[in-house]
Amino acid sequence: MGIQEQYRTDAANLLDSGAVKLVIGYGEGSTPERRRPIFIRSAEEVGRLVLDANCIANLSAYLVPEGLLSDGKSVAVFLKPDGIRSVNILAAEAQLNPEQVVILGFNIDAGLANPLPGRKANEFAPLLASLKSAGLSTDLQREADRLEQMTAVERFEYWKEQFSKCIKCYACRQVCPMCYCRRCIVDVNQPQWVNTSSHTLGNFEWNIIRAYHLAGRCVACGGCDRACPVNIPLRLLNHRMSKEALDTFDHFAGESADQKPVLATFRQDDPETFIL
Amino acid sequence: MAKIGVFVCHCGENIASMVDTGKLVTAISGHPGVAFSSEYKYFCSDPGQETVKRAIRENNLTGVVVAACSPRMHEQTFRKACAEAGLNPYMLELANIREQCSWVHTDRIEATDKAIEITRALVEKVKRNNDLQPISVPVTRRAMVIGGGVAGIQAAIDIATAGREVVLVEREPSIGGHMSQISETFPTLDCSQCILTPRMVEAVQHPNIRVMTYAEVEEVDGFIGNFTVKVRSKARYVKMETCTGCGDCIQKCPVKKIPSEFECELGNRTAIYTPFAQAVPNVPVIDRSRCTYFKNGKCAICKKTCQIDSIDFEQEDKTEYIEVGAIVVATGFQVQNTSMYGEYGYGRYKDVITGLHFERLASASGPTAGKIKRPSDGKEPETVVFIQCAGSRDASKGVKYCSKICCMYTAKHAMLYAHKVHHGKSQIFYMDIRAAGKGYDEFTRRAIEEDEAGYIRGRVSKLYEENGKLIVRGVDTLLGKPVEVEADMVVLATAMVPQPDAKEFAQRIGIGYDEYGFFNEAHLKLRPVETSTAGIYLAGACQSPKDIPDSVSQASAAAAKVLGLFSKEQLEREPVVATVSDSTCAGCWGCVIACPYNAIDRKEITDRNGNLIKRVASVNPGLCQGCGTCVSFCRSNSIDLAGFTESQIFAEVMGL
Repeated sequence: MGIQEQYRTDAANLLDSGAVKLVIGYGEGSTPERRRPIFIRSAEEVGRLVLDANCIANLSAYLVPEGLLSDGKSVAVFLKPDGIRSVNILAAEAQLNPEQVVILGFNIDAGLANPLPGRKANEFAPLLASLKSAGLSTDLQREADRLEQMTAVERFEYWKEQFSKCIKCYACRQVCPMCYCRRCIVDVNQPQWVNTSSHTLGNFEWNIIRAYHLAGRCVACGGCDRACPVNIPLRLLNHRMSKEALDTFDHFAGESADQKPVLATFRQDDPETFIL
Repeated sequence: MAKIGVFVCHCGENIASMVDTGKLVTAISGHPGVAFSSEYKYFCSDPGQETVKRAIRENNLTGVVVAACSPRMHEQTFRKACAEAGLNPYMLELANIREQCSWVHTDRIEATDKAIEITRALVEKVKRNNDLQPISVPVTRRAMVIGGGVAGIQAAIDIATAGREVVLVEREPSIGGHMSQISETFPTLDCSQCILTPRMVEAVQHPNIRVMTYAEVEEVDGFIGNFTVKVRSKARYVKMETCTGCGDCIQKCPVKKIPSEFECELGNRTAIYTPFAQAVPNVPVIDRSRCTYFKNGKCAICKKTCQIDSIDFEQEDKTEYIEVGAIVVATGFQVQNTSMYGEYGYGRYKDVITGLHFERLASASGPTAGKIKRPSDGKEPETVVFIQCAGSRDASKGVKYCSKICCMYTAKHAMLYAHKVHHGKSQIFYMDIRAAGKGYDEFTRRAIEEDEAGYIRGRVSKLYEENGKLIVRGVDTLLGKPVEVEADMVVLATAMVPQPDAKEFAQRIGIGYDEYGFFNEAHLKLRPVETSTAGIYLAGACQSPKDIPDSVSQASAAAAKVLGLFSKEQLEREPVVATVSDSTCAGCWGCVIACPYNAIDRKEITDRNGNLIKRVASVNPGLCQGCGTCVSFCRSNSIDLAGFTESQIFAEVMGL
């Protein structure tokens, strides 16, 4: 039995037994290679679930709408390792109770989706630890290395050009599991800290604020990058911040559900090289 | 409609020499909302403040900007003036055109332009200021003194005698500190123990002082008037309540050859021990790492010896949380390890010792009962060389600062040596003789003139052993000639350094420290006993090298500050506190973790039937110190700080 069949059966059993009230998974999309999130509430519907190498979106973002988990019932969700990390961060930031999240875990390797053993986020701890020790890389590694080689002025020019394309549609924010705030800072207009019009200054403000808000929280699912209609390589920005958090503070986002936010904690042995 | 008054101060020449104040007044008087502007030489002076008050009354001003120095310097001064003129004190802003402008620029035209911008920004801010009312918080009128040396003892006694409770915490088994190790004291040569031990006894018997020895401060939470201190009392394995201090257990303990820390390893102690005979409290402790019973479960001779069954091997560390309103830090110093000077041979030659070793040799209660005997063979040294600044004033190997006490104690050592070994000869290598203090210079003169201490101005370059003598080679810079002295013993005047864990301790309790680890005062001249953390004060050598008179004076000064704080039941706090917007808070608790004062709690919002709607962060205004850490952390921008609101800061920035 393939993984798709197996997880369809698992989902049906979870729903039938009442263990979960909802399964969040992938369904057919608008083109053969596209997948879209679907929400299954009864065992009869599990035939709509699809699981293959095209299932790349991080579905954890669908766990945080207000009220979804407030009845104490559980929800099952299809997650890759990045999504499992997101669940850990959401738990660490008190946005959900990890006990209510049943994980149907998988990873994609050589064009195939493979099952991952475990049902609750904490059961994936050894996997996440091995990911941490493997170190950070991005599928845009060559571009990331090229940016590192640049002078600060060249890099600024690079980002100026990239950000000049931004139309402030906020698709990056909408797709991101970490952007759960009820009111985003960009929507504050008393005072208007972030310029809303799409010119260079406002675009810089928005994209850099978002990068800072994701520091130590981004799991590199690439959702923002794929969502961006003007193809700004947002992964590069987030990758740089993740690298900083890991190298400087040994912080691998979403390693566990009791991880403290890297920018809000202080340890005796934190490097203080910036203090003169 | 805002009516803002702008007062441009010359600060004598400090500002006026670099900023065209006339131009500043002209420029700002045309700014929207500015109803009054003037300049004056010293607005902080009495006539200056009167000008401000009169202008407020006559023009019905709604806000005031004083373009002068930093808020740290004079914000309180002008807030008071505003209040006296009937204006809410929080409607005042200081535009810092001194430290941040005139002092740091050299171009008058540019400096003037910058001063105009700074002032304009503050005018924009003050237009958006609101009336604020101070917050009252209760004060716990009990103090904690950390460190039971002479400074800590003095501070504790002073506070206790004024009628307030004190908890004195000392990490060693006895109070007394370094002073109890010292033989005689300069400049009077009275015996250190004779003047200190009565104080130790007074402290421990004082009804208002609770002495906790063998105890360490682990955490300090809270803020001025309301600290919670976590103190861990280490297991003594001897019951404090019943032990009479008879000393039988110490007599019988078979592990006798442990180098005594108190005797600087010149003498030995047992595994169950009191550091010295006059220890307070006179209750021994068991050194777990050396005790045979703890090593292999056998022995327990002390337990068998004790007639009142006061030995308890099962004792465990005890942790207590103590509420206090003020803390005096008097954690003292250490003597620098001088082994980094290879040329002096410390650690290599037994007869090269430090000043503290010499104190023990000269002390009547020391390992030699006050006889000067050199450590290697116990012979009386005929020639002793003293090397001053062995570590101090040496940027390359030692420390940059002057340890302040070494000139005096070296003169004292030479005197004591002359008094005890009549035919002995002392030679002192020195850089300068720094003897500033009451009776100090007279004291060093006496050492030279009456006790024939031989002072040689110069450094020692090399020291080696030959035929049982220590050959000290150096240079006499006054004669410009090399000198060589055959000595029987060499005493190094080692530097005073902070406790090895001083920096870590400072971080733990939240006070500042310098590059060495000496704790920082709030202002070197005007607030020398306060730290920049309100409610925490300093006494003694933990702040900088100090002798006994200085330590005692500072301890009494710190006690006066504590008593001033305790003079009222309520403390008025600045109303600069944060508030959380319930509607936008996402409940991520980042602020709860980030808050250094534990001032943010989780609050549940329920509907009228008691059903939980959401959980949000909530700031306790009594605990909030207004640091703004939570404001900058909050991603949804749901926290605002009174007095520094988002709209005020935004207006200030846009005013630039």
